[in-house]
Amino acid sequence: VGGNLARRLERDPEFEYVAGLDTRKPAASLERTELIDADIRSPVISKLIPQAEVDTVVHNQIVRRAGPGMSARAMHDINVIGSLQLLAACEKSDTIRTIVIRGSAGVYGAEPHAPQFFNEEMTRMFPLRTRFQRDVGEIENYFETYSRRHPDVTCMMLRYQPAIGPSLDTQIPRYLSLPVVPTYFGFDPRIQLVHEDDALDALAAAVKSPVRGAVNVAGDGTIGLTRMVRLAGRPTLPVVGPLFGATAGVAKRLGMLDFSEDFQRLLRYGRGVDTTRLVEEVGFQPRYSTAEAVQDYAAKIGGRRLAPALRHVVAR
Amino acid sequence: MTREARTAPDGGPGFADDNGRGRSQGPAAGMGAAVAFMRLMREGLESGVELPEALARGAAGLPREARDRVSAAARRLDGDYQEDEWGFDEEFADLVEPVFDFLYDTWWRVTPTGVHNVPSHGRALLVSNHAGILPWDGTMIAMSILREHPLPRHPRFLVLNWAFDLPWISVILRKVGGVVASPFNALRLLEQDKLVAVFPEGVKGAGKDFKDRYRLQRFGRGGFVEIALRTGAPLVPVAVVGSEEIYPKIGELPLISKLIGAPYFPVTPTFPLLGPLGTIPLPSRWRIEFCEPIDTSGYGPEAADDRGLVFELSERVRETIQQKVYENLVERGPAFL
Repeated sequence: VGGNLARRLERDPEFEYVAGLDTRKPAASLERTELIDADIRSPVISKLIPQAEVDTVVHNQIVRRAGPGMSARAMHDINVIGSLQLLAACEKSDTIRTIVIRGSAGVYGAEPHAPQFFNEEMTRMFPLRTRFQRDVGEIENYFETYSRRHPDVTCMMLRYQPAIGPSLDTQIPRYLSLPVVPTYFGFDPRIQLVHEDDALDALAAAVKSPVRGAVNVAGDGTIGLTRMVRLAGRPTLPVVGPLFGATAGVAKRLGMLDFSEDFQRLLRYGRGVDTTRLVEEVGFQPRYSTAEAVQDYAAKIGGRRLAPALRHVVAR
Repeated sequence: MTREARTAPDGGPGFADDNGRGRSQGPAAGMGAAVAFMRLMREGLESGVELPEALARGAAGLPREARDRVSAAARRLDGDYQEDEWGFDEEFADLVEPVFDFLYDTWWRVTPTGVHNVPSHGRALLVSNHAGILPWDGTMIAMSILREHPLPRHPRFLVLNWAFDLPWISVILRKVGGVVASPFNALRLLEQDKLVAVFPEGVKGAGKDFKDRYRLQRFGRGGFVEIALRTGAPLVPVAVVGSEEIYPKIGELPLISKLIGAPYFPVTPTFPLLGPLGTIPLPSRWRIEFCEPIDTSGYGPEAADDRGLVFELSERVRETIQQKVYENLVERGPAFL
């Protein structure tokens, strides 16, 4: 996403200078973005960032799922220590006016007793149960402290619902491309997603018109998990609760998908967020609703469907 | 035979219904359709097409009505159905209506009165007495509106949170319009001009002993009045008689409730003695009365912070329901006859 965001921003004449900071080379081809090869966890960035004399910092490096060969420890380091280093670097700069962090709606958790739509004030409603939730919670706390110390800097925390799109390699698309999709037996939670295009556009919109505080990012409406899987044309495998962990273990061992604890809770209880702030204060209306995002994904990946032949003939 | 059996789960609930309709045209017609289905499907398989296609060809031999059912089921299997942002699935709600029809007409013989007091459009908050851990009273209130109101609409109801932990029950509840009992949900629903049902007795009502039946419990802190004031929604008191006899609770097992995290674990004459059979509600006779709406729009949204007014309105609603419950108990006479 970082590379795509840079490409989006460098096309916009409003931005004079765009720099990208990463340890890896971006997949997107960039024209005028200056690439800085540095690790967010190292204190070096507190020299680099003030030197660049930028006015906006976008922190897009919160890892939601440990990649291959990445330990839970490394994920924690990147998320928490990395964000801390970044904020420390921002302390040293006096040109910065805006900091945007791409966070996660996972901080609300997935709870059976939760209101159907979390608004931005509801982070304290339930205990932070998983490691990822605690990490994001910690980042949010540091960010809040920073924001209090620097009233002249607009600090914006974007809380993203999971993204879906044919070009993404994130949990939901991976989950939907399993040959058989495991679900919790007797549970069909409401899932809310953001289309990959909207995810990027929302980030760009946030950079252009930032608002203070947290903002939820998601498509309109929700979709039942079963309906989502059916739209993607996949057979489901209902697994009783106590055995789900073991099933997830098998999927992980086969290298298909690492069901994080957060993701497992999401598949059981679901989560919806209220996007009033995004639409009214940031002024960004997602183009795809949750259901449309799934339909778009299904149309683009194609794939084998189970029922169309039946339906086709019956309709005749 | 095995092949036909395999199609049954694909058909889902539609198929069961289908058989019922077939019977109305005489058993011979039903048999004929089944034979035609089998023959066409076998021919399909023999000519070397795959199973879904063969099933489809077989379906072509079914009567028109059955074909519609099959295509509806196939459409649902394709994910081609609507759910609103609350997870309410109107098609599903219509699909399960026959079950509730049976409960309404035959099992509980519900007599509704005053249905016209339910506003036919715009926001409104139905407030009702409550008993039993499963929200049968909510479904019967919904049924009386759907069947007796000139402009019927599905009410949404706030359900005891604990039900959303339960497999299947949580899914069915959300698909027929249940949401977690949170004031945020009630506010959002009313702002969307929906009809919302609440049971302010909450757990206290659900866990009532049989000897306390029809004695309304405290109405919490009057949160439902605050919500009505904040949104300007009229309050419609609803008195339900009959619901408090379906699970006559004579005791509890606190140890088990602690173990499974339930608010309480009821003991009735049949539960847990008869296992799952004990969850079948007793066939009492029901009456549901919808009372005159109480307009709250005149007070303005700031009045929601006026404790005195909130308690006054809450008590007024409670007394109305209590009085109507007693009246209807007298009207109804014996509970089970």
